[in-house]
Amino acid sequence: MADTSTKSVTASAEHYATTLPEGRNRPSGSVRGPYEWTLIALSVIFGLVSFWFVGTILFKSIPAFKQQGFYLLVGNAWNPTDGTTPSQYGALSMIIGTVETSLIAIVLAGVVGMGTSLAINFLLPARLRTFVATIVELLAAVPSVVYGIWGVLVLAPWVASTFGPWLTALPGGATIFGVSLAGKSLLLAGIVLAVMILPTFVAISREVIGAVPAELIEASLSLGATRWQTLWRTVIPTSRIGLFGATTLALGRAFGETIAVALVAGGVVQMNFHPLAQGTSLASFIAGQWGEAEGSDQVPALYALGVFLMLFSLAFSLIANRLVAKQRKAAAL
Amino acid sequence: MSASPDLLDPVDTLIRDHLRERAQATLKRRQFVSGLMTFLCWTAIAIAAVPLIMILFELFKKGLPYVTSWAFYTQLPQQPTLFDQSHLGGISNSLIGSLAIIGYSCLVAVPLGIGIGIYMAENDTKPAQIMRTVIATMVGAPSILMGLFAFGFIVEQLHVGFSILAGSFALGVMMLPVLASATELAVRNVPPTLREAGLALGAKPSTTSLKIVLPAAITGIVTGCILAISRAVGETAPVLLVIGGTVSAITYLPSQPGNALPYQIYQDVISNYDSQKNQSWGIALFLVIVIFILSLSARIWAARKQKVRR
Repeated sequence: MADTSTKSVTASAEHYATTLPEGRNRPSGSVRGPYEWTLIALSVIFGLVSFWFVGTILFKSIPAFKQQGFYLLVGNAWNPTDGTTPSQYGALSMIIGTVETSLIAIVLAGVVGMGTSLAINFLLPARLRTFVATIVELLAAVPSVVYGIWGVLVLAPWVASTFGPWLTALPGGATIFGVSLAGKSLLLAGIVLAVMILPTFVAISREVIGAVPAELIEASLSLGATRWQTLWRTVIPTSRIGLFGATTLALGRAFGETIAVALVAGGVVQMNFHPLAQGTSLASFIAGQWGEAEGSDQVPALYALGVFLMLFSLAFSLIANRLVAKQRKAAAL
Repeated sequence: MSASPDLLDPVDTLIRDHLRERAQATLKRRQFVSGLMTFLCWTAIAIAAVPLIMILFELFKKGLPYVTSWAFYTQLPQQPTLFDQSHLGGISNSLIGSLAIIGYSCLVAVPLGIGIGIYMAENDTKPAQIMRTVIATMVGAPSILMGLFAFGFIVEQLHVGFSILAGSFALGVMMLPVLASATELAVRNVPPTLREAGLALGAKPSTTSLKIVLPAAITGIVTGCILAISRAVGETAPVLLVIGGTVSAITYLPSQPGNALPYQIYQDVISNYDSQKNQSWGIALFLVIVIFILSLSARIWAARKQKVRR
């Protein structure tokens, strides 16, 4: 138990995968010494930092909300001007692009990752298991920019030169995929994100599935259930809280990803959300626009995108926490 | 319920026979489904392995020539020209820049994160619970938000400008929640008997924490630090917004604008020259090797430490 922290990819995996052991309360009546005050001071600093974190991003975005109003949320054009005519900043296509790419990613990574972790735990020979698990955890630490350069330097040219023309040559292909296949697309971004979050997902779900008590599995098998019946009716329901945690963590990584999406989605603001069309996402658009935005009224608008991203992330983590707590309560009963 | 099979209630026998018959009748179908799903699981692991192996293969194939040359580490990057694409220089400034950024951010984030973690582990008060929620949220927050924060606070409010300090600040804020929750978990995993033994011997709570609990939790804390650092080293987005990206000189002072490895990768990839695009594989491979070494050594060290204790 003591070395769980070495096994997990991130600490928040622990947050979902295990219940924290009972905390130690300060013995009542003891005096606070320099040690206790230091800890309290550090915590206060942290409180200030996190408060200032939210405050700065909100504060910096105010001019954009004043200037654009509701258009910022529902508008679909991004037209910076030199100031002679009013500029337009609408975040709708980034919001939809974010949702679309991360949904593609989580569906792909979820299905493949689930099968992979079941296979690692129940199909691979025991000797290979630790080896594969270590590889998976190392891959989870690979920086996202590496997945990005693979997407833009290997995958996108291949789509543009080989896969795209093949798709268009299919009967009816030109009408169904009637979008220019320049290589970069929302779908490609989703696929690169899926590859990127797969190790994270598998690292956690493998650990969670491995923690299912062997007696449960043996009981199911001894009653005559087949391997799949055991996995589907015993293993997965038992580990569902942890699997849910793995999914939320992976989804969180996908929708906040900046560089990989910036490189492969195309960075185009348009209201065409065909998976093969080019698009952008909240985080990647901020990074892509940053250079040219400097000093203009575009900076507050980009901060407003940050506000949306922050709200997304906050809502997401609150819902995840609520669901995990509910599941835990149900499991405890 | 009953002792021997022949004493079974006739109804029980009926139910048992019915269940057995059904199990027999569905056996073929169940076995088929199970076989199919097992096959699909094998397929899944194959599908997962293909792109990941492709990435590693490409990374080593294209990156190895760069990583193995000494000049790659000692030269400044150079802008290639249309006529001479091969003049690329190296990564000396982004290497130093990354070291500086990580160093400065650790200097503040590590003690702060560990302190917060200990506080949360030792107190179950309301503020500690709120902090725990805030930290769980921050761990999952998109990293580019840290960049926006650093730009708004360090670059603009404090008028430092694009600088290594702003980059370290962004990465520090990113590392903080990871460090804190790793520390909290490590401290909570120390058996309570250890702390009670310390207190029972008359040691002050603070002495018990510092001299007994912390040494017992040090494996988890150090591993958490290394994981946080290896995540921060490769983080591009927050650094991209605030460090300025100098190419002409080696900079490492907090107030100077600087360069960093992931920043250089991004610049290379979006360049128009194929040679420069190709160089990004070299930097990426170097980064991946550093991260692998960091996390493997943390793992091995923790495993050995664990063994010694037993």
